[in-house]
Amino acid sequence: MKRIPLLLLLLTLLTLFGCAHDLSKQEKFLSASPRSILVIPVVNNSVDVTAADYMLSTLATPLAERGYYVFPINAVKRVLEDEGLADSSLVHSAPASKLASLFGADAVLYIVIEQWDAKYMLLTTTVTVAIDYQIRDGKTDEVLWENKERMVYQPNGGNNSGGGVAGLVANIIIKVAEAAATKAAPNYMPLAHQANAKALFKYPGPGIPLGPYADEQKN
Amino acid sequence: MTSAIKYLCILFFFFSLIGCVHTQYEWNNYDTKLYNHYKNPAEREKFIQALKEILDYAEPIGKVPPGIYAEYGFVMYEQGNNQQAVLYFQKEADKWPESRAFMTKMIANANKQAKNQKETVQLPVSPEIDASKTVQKPSSEVSK
Repeated sequence: MKRIPLLLLLLTLLTLFGCAHDLSKQEKFLSASPRSILVIPVVNNSVDVTAADYMLSTLATPLAERGYYVFPINAVKRVLEDEGLADSSLVHSAPASKLASLFGADAVLYIVIEQWDAKYMLLTTTVTVAIDYQIRDGKTDEVLWENKERMVYQPNGGNNSGGGVAGLVANIIIKVAEAAATKAAPNYMPLAHQANAKALFKYPGPGIPLGPYADEQKN
Repeated sequence: MTSAIKYLCILFFFFSLIGCVHTQYEWNNYDTKLYNHYKNPAEREKFIQALKEILDYAEPIGKVPPGIYAEYGFVMYEQGNNQQAVLYFQKEADKWPESRAFMTKMIANANKQAKNQKETVQLPVSPEIDASKTVQKPSSEVSK
């Protein structure tokens, strides 16, 4: 009985650590303290043609929830196209300061997908992804933060619920059906969410510090 | 005394959990909507509708995410609906000072587009058509 408060205290402290930032790794970012982040189209070096769209459409939410102003993803993409920068690798070859000046952005997020390989097996699908995140200063072009996310994602998870032989058979049937469904049209939304959350939020660790609008939420 | 600390700890623990999980904006599946737009670019109306849905839900409760007013303004601009475009670009600029440089540019673009539209619409209008319009007007009133 006496242990419960102690356990709670420990848990509380642990969650606090989970929320606090690791200052040493974000010095450059913190001294630049950008308020706004421009998300530019994603370079895709992987074999999966849908990967870039999945990444591009899932970045605004985590960045904004982290407290930054995020420029409208689609409007930015379209404006860049009108500027003659329809190809994402062309956009990436432009200096951050040039891109930032078009929109008045403090920082620019460059994302390169190096790997996005789905392996289809009988009962499950495994997707191995390698994504490089980099935030550059909108004035000095300096790299303020970077993170290389490598992960193996399993859409069907490893949840073998009980239920004896019948349960096992039912489970296998469901998994086969799921695998067939994913093979037809894989939904990588959860994968993209997971990768972004791991890359941007992981604390203490390589995530990005909280932005100006995160403080308002706390007060 | 100890129970007070215990309760305080429990309370604090849950608050810290909420602090980590809760989202400050109402996104309403913006990511899925955007992805579907890139997957089926021909279905423009669906995307416009989807953005409107986000605004309809988030605006009354003050939880419009950054960029969404501008995103809606931009599709309006692309539709040639410059009045709505300017309205939403202005809303973005008012809510997010970080967007002002971009929104000022977009408002200027929308106004320019509106001016061009006016000129191209007005040019082919001949005085004869104008005259026929003024003739038609009273007759329609009579029929009522």
